[in-house]
Amino acid sequence: MADATTGRVRSAAEAAEARAYGLTRADLVEWVQFSPIEIYWARKHHLTPAVARHWAAKGLRVGDAVRAIALGMTPEEVAPWAGAGFAPFDAVEAKETGVPLETAIAWLQAGFILPDAALLIRDGWTLEEAVVARYAGIAAEDHGPFPVPGCMADSAETESRPLVMELRVSARHQVRHRWSR
Amino acid sequence: MLSDERNRLLCQTDPGTPMGELLRRYWHPVAGAAELRRTSVKPVRILGEDLALYRDRSGNYGLVDRHCPHRRADLTYGFTEERGLRCNYHGWLFDHTGQCLHQPFEETLHPEGRFKEKVRIKAYQVQEKAGLIWVYLGPRPAPLLPDWDQYYRRGFKQVTVSEVPCNWFQCQENSIDPVHFEWLHDNWSRVLRGEHGDRAPAHQRLGFDEFDYGFTYRRIRADTTEEHPLWTTGRVCLWPNCLYTGHFEWRVPIDDTRTLSIAWFIDDLPGDLPYEQDVIPCWEAPVKDERTGRWIDTHVMNQDYIAWIGQGVIADRTMEHLGESDRGVILMRKRLLDDLEEVAAGRDPKGLIRDPELNHRVHLPLVPFAASATGPRPFVFLAGQPKEVFDEYAQAWHACAAAAPQELTADG
Repeated sequence: MADATTGRVRSAAEAAEARAYGLTRADLVEWVQFSPIEIYWARKHHLTPAVARHWAAKGLRVGDAVRAIALGMTPEEVAPWAGAGFAPFDAVEAKETGVPLETAIAWLQAGFILPDAALLIRDGWTLEEAVVARYAGIAAEDHGPFPVPGCMADSAETESRPLVMELRVSARHQVRHRWSR
Repeated sequence: MLSDERNRLLCQTDPGTPMGELLRRYWHPVAGAAELRRTSVKPVRILGEDLALYRDRSGNYGLVDRHCPHRRADLTYGFTEERGLRCNYHGWLFDHTGQCLHQPFEETLHPEGRFKEKVRIKAYQVQEKAGLIWVYLGPRPAPLLPDWDQYYRRGFKQVTVSEVPCNWFQCQENSIDPVHFEWLHDNWSRVLRGEHGDRAPAHQRLGFDEFDYGFTYRRIRADTTEEHPLWTTGRVCLWPNCLYTGHFEWRVPIDDTRTLSIAWFIDDLPGDLPYEQDVIPCWEAPVKDERTGRWIDTHVMNQDYIAWIGQGVIADRTMEHLGESDRGVILMRKRLLDDLEEVAAGRDPKGLIRDPELNHRVHLPLVPFAASATGPRPFVFLAGQPKEVFDEYAQAWHACAAAAPQELTADG
């Protein structure tokens, strides 16, 4: 279904969704870049097309824009997050959960995507605890280097093993402590 | 990764547990209505409670404590009467409210006695809709039983029931995990078929949006664009324990170590000949291949079961390593944890419908699918479909195709 005014082509599937949400052709023209469910959600939360477009220009769909507005955010707050390599909607998640950008960067560098980090922080984990716990399960399976056919493990690898063992025991202890809280 | 404490919070559903209290705010399907046509009483264990589900001779449903309060006999061996369920041990009779209506010997000796009026057993609300029996175990007033628009779609409908030996929550996490389709269903199925060539189109982007009744998850794969309905509309993680993709798959906790996987399917029929089913068939889908002792791997939901069961009876989330593919899973956990706080504060959790005006053919986002144009489709979701169920669908398909435009070729 092509709109004569905008040239935007909506698939039969989108047209069916639009009908299900009671949207008219005029609605679809007014909200040309948005999907029917986004239009429905925007209207439910009193978002105008202009405001929705402003947020969309920053990479946020209607659902995240609604959350952002409820949190008192401005579209300009998204840019620092996007610039640091996060998804635009991560900026909203961070605002909602109170995670500062610097903290999010540190957790991301340790392997935790923003929503995972936010949930762990909410539960009282420190980054150090989380890193130990995250790798404890993997380290516990470390039985040393796999022998390469025709080669023996060199002495440097052999000497490193006590250190690995020590880390493993430490990690297990901390994880158990964490669980028992 | 979750702490053990958080994991238990999300997984445990017995009475008095936070998640148990949350899930008790929703209606849950526990049986196919067709089952209660075949037998009038059925044992049901849900959310850790043992109950007797019955349909009396007046056609009224009841869900009561499984044990008679007299001497604790099993009421699922009782028998139904015009009104209520009678214990087979000494004949005490109970109605759908749990009220004792008759105590034969007591009343013979003490006709003026009023003991029965003081006896009431645990009883919950029951409704039939869309070929399913729904129960509500929570505080009054109960919310409305959702009236989804898909129930009214023209097509051949069927209900399946399976018991999956693991916790409900790992089953439901699967409902917001788009990438698993690529591997568990597409790539693994190719390998199982002996195809070791090309892999399925890889996922490129994921998106998740909240709406009134859950979340949609959206995907772009290597073979699709932003114009594709799987991106513009997406699939539905229906709150709090269902997947909706045109069919419904509920994951109802039996207890903390078993889940009732109960699903409602529809196959569109060609043409526009009016079609109504007298009874929506219900069948029990096996999960294990009795010849090998291994889990069945040939059908879509059976493959899901293998993944869920493989995670352990209760998945140990202290040992997991989440990444970008798990954003939906994290989103769901966070929302449920928020909901737990809402319930603890005396408020409604997400997705309840209490306004009767809103509860009329409620639309859920749907990526459309069309009736097969070449013949009845084989049932790909679960192994074990009875021949008579497929035959009933095939008969309906051929009847509708015969009355439809000529481009349909009934070669099925």
